[in-house]
Amino acid sequence: MSEQTTTRSHKAEQVLERMGQKLNRQMVGSLLACVHCGMCTESCHYVLANPGDPTYAPAYKGDLIRKLFKRHFDWTGRVAPWWVKAGSVWSDEELEELKDTVFGKCTNCRRCTLNCPMGVDLATFNRMARGLLVSVGVMPEGVAVVSKDQWEIGNQMGVLKEDYLDTLEWMAEEMQDDLDDPTADIPIDQTDCEVVYSINPREVKYDPRSIADAAKIFHAAGESWTMASEGWDMTNFGLFSGDDDLGGSVAQRLYEKVNELRGKTLVISECGHGFRSTRCEGPNWAKFDVPFVMESSIFTMLRYIKEGRIKVDKSKNSRPVTYHDSCNMARSCGLYEEPRELLELVCSDFREMTPNRAENYCCTGGGGAMSMSEYTPRRLKSGIIKANQLKDTGAEIVVTSCHNCVDGLTDVIRHYELRIEVTQLVNLVANALVLEPKSETVADDASKEVMPGLA
Amino acid sequence: MSELLHFSEHTLQEVALGFMALVYTTRIAWFLRFKAGGERQASTGTPKRTTPKRGILYSWANVAMPWAMESTRRQYLIYAQFVIFHLGVTAAIGLSFVIPYWPHLLESQTLVLILQIIIGAAFLVGVIRIFRRVGNNYMRAISSPDDYFSLLLLTVWFFFATLAVPNNTSGGEWHLLTYFILTAFFLIYVPFSKISHYLYYPFTRYYLGKTMGHRGVYPVQRG
Repeated sequence: MSEQTTTRSHKAEQVLERMGQKLNRQMVGSLLACVHCGMCTESCHYVLANPGDPTYAPAYKGDLIRKLFKRHFDWTGRVAPWWVKAGSVWSDEELEELKDTVFGKCTNCRRCTLNCPMGVDLATFNRMARGLLVSVGVMPEGVAVVSKDQWEIGNQMGVLKEDYLDTLEWMAEEMQDDLDDPTADIPIDQTDCEVVYSINPREVKYDPRSIADAAKIFHAAGESWTMASEGWDMTNFGLFSGDDDLGGSVAQRLYEKVNELRGKTLVISECGHGFRSTRCEGPNWAKFDVPFVMESSIFTMLRYIKEGRIKVDKSKNSRPVTYHDSCNMARSCGLYEEPRELLELVCSDFREMTPNRAENYCCTGGGGAMSMSEYTPRRLKSGIIKANQLKDTGAEIVVTSCHNCVDGLTDVIRHYELRIEVTQLVNLVANALVLEPKSETVADDASKEVMPGLA
Repeated sequence: MSELLHFSEHTLQEVALGFMALVYTTRIAWFLRFKAGGERQASTGTPKRTTPKRGILYSWANVAMPWAMESTRRQYLIYAQFVIFHLGVTAAIGLSFVIPYWPHLLESQTLVLILQIIIGAAFLVGVIRIFRRVGNNYMRAISSPDDYFSLLLLTVWFFFATLAVPNNTSGGEWHLLTYFILTAFFLIYVPFSKISHYLYYPFTRYYLGKTMGHRGVYPVQRG
């Protein structure tokens, strides 16, 4: 980058000024500690899919942000910038170049973080860089559109309230037909329930079956549950865009709705970034101490089985199944054993993919990549790593607990012409459900009315 | 022993060490001025297995657990080089105290041999690392002049440290003088270079471990 330019653009000026406000001790530690040992290089699926191109190396990508830190905040870079590769940004074009890296060459999957001997958390400061660019309007078009929808309409897919409620009604009717049980319902805005169920708007728009499946499970478990008519979106584009204000606002909307309904537990449907944003990051972004329990629906379903509230027959899911760990769940929330426990209960042929758990590779759709179509060819090229992982399992079905991963995996499977279906745990659990005959269910419901709290 | 060598072994080292301590203190104070981010949410993961405390301990111990990370498992030769290199650093620094203050220890030929093997091996690793940094295009792309210079400096220092181990001036003092002058330069240069990474390591690892422990990721469980 040329430092001969005499004036810095307004956007570049803002980015540098805001960087100073964003830096915390964790980030500064990560920015200082990299020794350029190169150990992280092969941990990145972009590197593995693009051999010979060092611009994908995590340390290289990190240096594009690190050089700004060194030049403007660290004395070594101030005194002798060329010696430590410190540099600045001067023009909007340079910000565009940075955008191409932080949005288009990294899915914030955190795999390099876990492979760094120094403990450098690239994903965290890559997200910070995204946030700085977003704050001056430099972002992929898709990120701008989705963020706007989430700010203005209240969910990231711009689903209108009428459409959402129509879909829930439709799913409730389907469930009633399916179960031949007119009492099966999807309650809306019920107060004082045990469970408030929050979902990803993708479920309303493209995968309503997962809502019906979840409803079927809640119904079978005799749960006291509800969905909210507003503030129901547990996804949070603030995680991807690096915009903490959006992150906090979206999370708070959800928390306040649960409070308003006096719900005891917020159950988060299967979504990696939604779980991480709502469960782990949201309280920090919103500076909000959440007074109720928050859990992934994976825990809820597992608990129902363990408590005998639902019965499942694993022989109903007999095709070979493998599990894809969502990066946000496994590497940022430590959620990787419970899905396996659940799979063992509802599937008869479960096969691990290698590597797995916190070492799994990204589906390619992480970090909001599915909304950044300008990077699709790059993303699909990097998908060869995931495609090979999937192929090696010999599984016919890949299960994941993340809607982004469903889309990312579907794209990879289509692109690499694999014969593998993608599904989620909720679908498998619903399929494995052993439902009591209707008469017994009604009798059970009647007994519940007499003795509330037994369910 | 000449006055110059005596000065290099004592006064020069003390001044350099004092300077390093001063700069390090300033550096840490500056670092701690940045506010640490916290976690409001209840912890995730299994409390019996993962807690912030366990996460921190695991994170700190990570450097001694090559099996814990895929990167060190797969690149075990590079990990072995890392171990040798850092053992060499420890031995060569220790030598700069042994020669002036406890020279009688070097009357043991076994100790001399052990130190020479360790530091000599570190020198060889330094040479390998230089070739790797220059020859590998990934490494070239991420390297700064400081990276090259620091590596070169340490490698040359290892060479003279290996020669200095016997503390023998019968053939002249040049090797001891060079070693002690290089050590002093090293101490003064370190706070400004990547070599100071060990200063940040405990902090970076502490915070990462705390976060990952709170979130149920550390200690990493493999399937």
